[in-house]
Amino acid sequence: MVVSEIVIPKKQKRNSSKGCELVTCLNSKLKSGFNLVFHSPLLCVIVFPNAHITLYPFTPARPPVSLPAALGGQSWGHEEVSESVKEYIVMKQRLMVRAFSRTLTLVQSYRPSRTAFSTASSSFAIKNVTKSNFDSSLADLRRHVRDSDFVAIDLEMTGVMSSPWRESFEFDRFDIRYLKVKDSAEKFAVVQFGVCPFRWDPTKQSFIAHPHNFYIFPRQEIGGDDSSYEFLCQTSSIEFLAKYQFDFNTCVKEGISYLSRAQEDDVRLQLHSAHENEPSESPYTAKEFKDVPLVRMADILFVDRMKNKISEWHDDLLQIRNGGSHRTQEDSNDSSDQFQAIFFKTCPSIKLNGFTSRQLRLIKSVVEKSFKDLAYIRVNNGSCFQQIIVYTNSRRELELLMNEAKESHFKVAEMKIEAAIGFRHVIDLLSSEQKLIVGHNCFLDIAHICRKFVGPLPSNLEEYAPLVQKNFPFIIDTKILLNACNILQLKMKKSSTSLAKAFAILCPHIASGVDSFGSAHNNPVAVEVQVDDMRSSNWNSGAKHEAGYDAFMTGCIFAQSCNHLGINFTSHSTLMKEDKLQNYINLLYLSWSSGDTVDLKSGQTRTESSSLNVFKNQQLKILFPNIVLIWGFPSKLKAREIKESLTKVFGLTSVTSIFHLDKTAVFVQFIKPELVSDFLKLKSTIEKKKNDAIYVLHPFSDLLEGGRTGAACYEVYKEICGSPISKPLFADQAEAITVNLDSKRLESMAHKTDSFAESESAIDTKTAETTGEILGLASC
Amino acid sequence: MPPFPMLRGRFLCTQSSTFFFNQSSGGRRRPQWPIKQVTKSNFSDSLDEIKNHISNSDFVAVSLQTTGSYSSPWHRVLPLDTPETAYLKAKYAAERFQILQFAVCPFNVRVSNKLTVNPFNFHLFQRDELKIGAPCYSFSCQPSYLAAMAREDFDFNVCIYDGISYLSRAQESEAKHQIGSSVSSAFVAQTSSSRSVADNVFVERIKSRVGHWISACKHSDTKTDDALVNSLRKLILGGDEYGSRPSLNIDVCSERQVQLVFEMVKSHYENVVPLTIAAKGGGTQSVRVVLTSSKEDRDLLEKDLKNMEEEQSKRIRGFREVIELISTSQKPVVAHNSLNDFTFIHSKFISPLPPTMDEFRNSLHSVFHDIRDINHLMKEVGPINKYTNLPSATSYLKRKFFAPVEIDIPQKASMEECKNHGHNVVRISELFARLCFILKLNPETVNQNPDGPLLKLDSNMFNLGSNGFQETDDISVWTHNPRKISINNLVFLWGFRSGISAGKLKNMLCKSHDVLSEDEVFDVRLVDKNCAVVVFWKNGLSEWFLDAIGSGSGDGLRELAAEGLMAAGYEAYKRVCKSEILGADLAASLAEIDRDHIEESAEVYWNSELMINFDDL
Repeated sequence: MVVSEIVIPKKQKRNSSKGCELVTCLNSKLKSGFNLVFHSPLLCVIVFPNAHITLYPFTPARPPVSLPAALGGQSWGHEEVSESVKEYIVMKQRLMVRAFSRTLTLVQSYRPSRTAFSTASSSFAIKNVTKSNFDSSLADLRRHVRDSDFVAIDLEMTGVMSSPWRESFEFDRFDIRYLKVKDSAEKFAVVQFGVCPFRWDPTKQSFIAHPHNFYIFPRQEIGGDDSSYEFLCQTSSIEFLAKYQFDFNTCVKEGISYLSRAQEDDVRLQLHSAHENEPSESPYTAKEFKDVPLVRMADILFVDRMKNKISEWHDDLLQIRNGGSHRTQEDSNDSSDQFQAIFFKTCPSIKLNGFTSRQLRLIKSVVEKSFKDLAYIRVNNGSCFQQIIVYTNSRRELELLMNEAKESHFKVAEMKIEAAIGFRHVIDLLSSEQKLIVGHNCFLDIAHICRKFVGPLPSNLEEYAPLVQKNFPFIIDTKILLNACNILQLKMKKSSTSLAKAFAILCPHIASGVDSFGSAHNNPVAVEVQVDDMRSSNWNSGAKHEAGYDAFMTGCIFAQSCNHLGINFTSHSTLMKEDKLQNYINLLYLSWSSGDTVDLKSGQTRTESSSLNVFKNQQLKILFPNIVLIWGFPSKLKAREIKESLTKVFGLTSVTSIFHLDKTAVFVQFIKPELVSDFLKLKSTIEKKKNDAIYVLHPFSDLLEGGRTGAACYEVYKEICGSPISKPLFADQAEAITVNLDSKRLESMAHKTDSFAESESAIDTKTAETTGEILGLASC
Repeated sequence: MPPFPMLRGRFLCTQSSTFFFNQSSGGRRRPQWPIKQVTKSNFSDSLDEIKNHISNSDFVAVSLQTTGSYSSPWHRVLPLDTPETAYLKAKYAAERFQILQFAVCPFNVRVSNKLTVNPFNFHLFQRDELKIGAPCYSFSCQPSYLAAMAREDFDFNVCIYDGISYLSRAQESEAKHQIGSSVSSAFVAQTSSSRSVADNVFVERIKSRVGHWISACKHSDTKTDDALVNSLRKLILGGDEYGSRPSLNIDVCSERQVQLVFEMVKSHYENVVPLTIAAKGGGTQSVRVVLTSSKEDRDLLEKDLKNMEEEQSKRIRGFREVIELISTSQKPVVAHNSLNDFTFIHSKFISPLPPTMDEFRNSLHSVFHDIRDINHLMKEVGPINKYTNLPSATSYLKRKFFAPVEIDIPQKASMEECKNHGHNVVRISELFARLCFILKLNPETVNQNPDGPLLKLDSNMFNLGSNGFQETDDISVWTHNPRKISINNLVFLWGFRSGISAGKLKNMLCKSHDVLSEDEVFDVRLVDKNCAVVVFWKNGLSEWFLDAIGSGSGDGLRELAAEGLMAAGYEAYKRVCKSEILGADLAASLAEIDRDHIEESAEVYWNSELMINFDDL
């Protein structure tokens, strides 16, 4: 692009505040298609007729800003720029809007100190980040996160439960709840990640929020086997996303990929070991690698030709070296296409173009076999590998060359790994900045973050909690906050604490877009949203269940909650040190419905007695040793019938409660733990005497009808939930697990039942049948 | 520096020119055939269209686009797989992944090598349309498959928002039980067995009741009653209205009684139409008899009922209607990778896959009696293996044989590149036509002559990997050296350094024992980076080897075993393939199975010991 400068006399420059004549003069120049540089005391304008207009502030330290920012930027004090220039620019802008949209992303790097163009009711789009604008957005996000007081997050996944019975049940123990969340985080993919840093601006008395909506997709960019990238989709979740206009195309085509820390370590390890092992496999030390067998006639001919051609080049080279006359160049074009003479690190060499991989392998073997002073190497030029044959004077020089090529391969591979980390840079940023992370009912979200970006999840909650703490020392869950804090419960008027509902109740001034300083809300927290260079004090993109917007809502709820708690944003340096929040930080819901919480700091679990479930807990105390699991009975049996048949045998009060997992599986809680083993024993006895009349008449006959009924104690339920298998029907799942378990479990159960067997044999007559029963129990 | 003169070799010149030709023909240029894209919005129109095309065609080609096919390198069908293990692997994939596109192409081949194709590409997404619990709770996706589709500008949004849903046969019958509202006039009349006294009493009772009701209805027609009298009559007679026609519900307690009512009504009352009303949990709750005014009116009602049933089942079946059309047409179905495609088709449209290959074959045969595999036919023409993908197979045939095929696509469809998917199905048709020409098979006559050579070759035979096995226990592992090997001579090895080459591994084994150091005793191939397979050319050596590794009899072998080298026979591999989860790493899965096996034997020991204790008492 030709940039011609028009030199403007100094006098005019100073007068530019009233320099209408100058502008008209310049405009006439412009029409003739000249590029223009306009200097003013504050501004210089460079106009490229074909591309875009850039305004340079006078201070050289300030980076360039393109038009949209500058146009709104009256605050710059550009009054000096005459109206006609503005008009011209506006006109020009209309023509160039398209061109600008590309440069827009560059603009964010500069922001005028006082921007005064936040409009009354603006609804601009959220900042969507895909792989094309990831790098630039990451740079911005780094700054925003560093400056922020807290960062709100939200995730959208391809599913929640890998099978219906993996939903959270009342009868789930803490360890089982964790196993269910772990299973979900392992199987499903994250497709959208919302990050929204909030910064308190004391001068404005307002939060500045920067909502980002990242599309991510587990694309395999590097190494590893594909299986670690495979993910599950829950049909209903996909439909749910579709209902809220989730853009699957953007996700698959443009989504940002990522490597977890564990994956990165693996890939690096592979790279390093390959790097170290390479010398032993270089052609000079080990020759055990088989050459391509020359079986096809075409191969033999090809090899012959190549040999001739290379030796000719080689001979010519030597002739020149020895001062002989060199031939005139009269190569045909075709061959020079494939054989291009170049210099590689000052060594004469030929570049091989357009051969198939088989042909290249043949050439390689020819070079290695027939030419001692030639080397076949692969070098990396930018994006792709290039095969060249190099002539070297000495073995030493050759080795140096080979090493150099290898080093460059290594560097390129390292760079590729660096690039493949992708979205994890955002997670690393959140982790390293140690900011307060705010989520809404975010136990699953955090589990996904750990699984996707850190590494495999530990097998139990006790090991998981410190892992989370290490990476994210301060997490706050707005759902906990809303439910546990009395002041906020009052504000919420006992309404549902779902994200959208809570947002509507706590932040009506943002949610509805109307400033309501009415009676309902005495002190709303102002939140100004900034997307690129657009700002709004009551922004509402309205796209619910879009991760970026959900994160924004979560942050607003948190800000408002803090306000209600009487937290002064201005006086405090860090929110996480705030006394009023100490009871809630790092407390997450393991399961919201049961009110089970986990304290990540201590790894302690307990059941919140919130108003919602206190009633339920009084009604029923769950005793896990008293629970037996029954599955595979005919689906027509309902809880009442099952209870009936059990009470017929064990007494009217023997069964405390029955809970359906799905239509062919139940938990039964007995009044005392011994009944569990009694039941299991009785069941196996009846099953053995299947053909006896007693079997038909027994109260259990309905339950055992079909012969596929299984039963086990609560510990087996844990095994079933911990398995990677996910069958839709619990009975099928239990069947698959217990079949596998049989042998393994038997041994451990044997010890458990050993003492039991002894006591039993003391009472019972020692018949062989007893043994059979005990064994039957064990195999359950 | 002077430039280095190049040789002006003439041969090189020709070499490069042929090379470029190859490259351009092998390059992935997308052909532009107009293929009708079908989604929910234009499905019912297209259904009629494809119905006509199928009935007018000689063959139907099918091709699927799925969300994945194998989770791990060893999950692919390998040369070392027997048909059984290959089936288990295909089953594993079909149960996990989902079909997103289903291309169907009814086509004709004429002797003049004119290929007439009518390609359709259906976009599918199985969702819970009837709100009775999702037919497909969840499915797996392989990012590489989705990314490949994205590169071809596949529109995932259209597929998910507007894809056609469906139910398999098994799911349909389940759903009908669940919704239970289906009114059906078609009661399958069983052979009338002799009636018992109770039956006769029942029939007489119903007969008189229906008779009374009919006369009452006819009587009331003449007069205009007020509402009170009408409702009283309803109360007494138990009558009701079915649409605008009067009807009466008769409670039944068994299917036998349903049959009796149907027989009675059909024989005694001409203008009465019986319907069954299904109970919620399946079975028949009651029979409804509807009174029609005349014979014409009866026919009208019966026609209406039939249409209604068809509409309902269409709504339930969704895309499966197309599968049923192909099945009932009995036209030969041409596929490229039939084992993979038909395990998917069976599991998604027919019923869950049976545990063994034989059961699968039988079940599939009852639906598609004539399946032809392109891969299998390719084997007749030349060395296969290399031409496993469609474009390369086509270009191979183009190069080696003179088989001109003129493709004619009568239908008009959008040529917009981004919306034009499902080309493979046309490629399959084209390839099939070429193969017919090359193999001198006359497609027209083949179709009429069921004993023709084509049918014998490939009907319902699956191309399993690249090997042409005959006996189930023989496989050929080595492509360069196609020898039949009994699976008993195969041993799986793991526990070596990850990433080691097969050659090094062989060297290691050679040095470990005298028996192994001889020539032509065994060979090694890697299955994945942590697992290798060893083939022994002599019978009996594999057992010796397994024993030796297990007990550490030879010095060298003991050393290897101490370093962690493990071995297992083909049985262990079979068990791995049968297990619920195949596992990403074959070595880990084999180790798991192996350990279980050992524990099983330990369990027997433990039992017997216990028994002895009791004897002592």
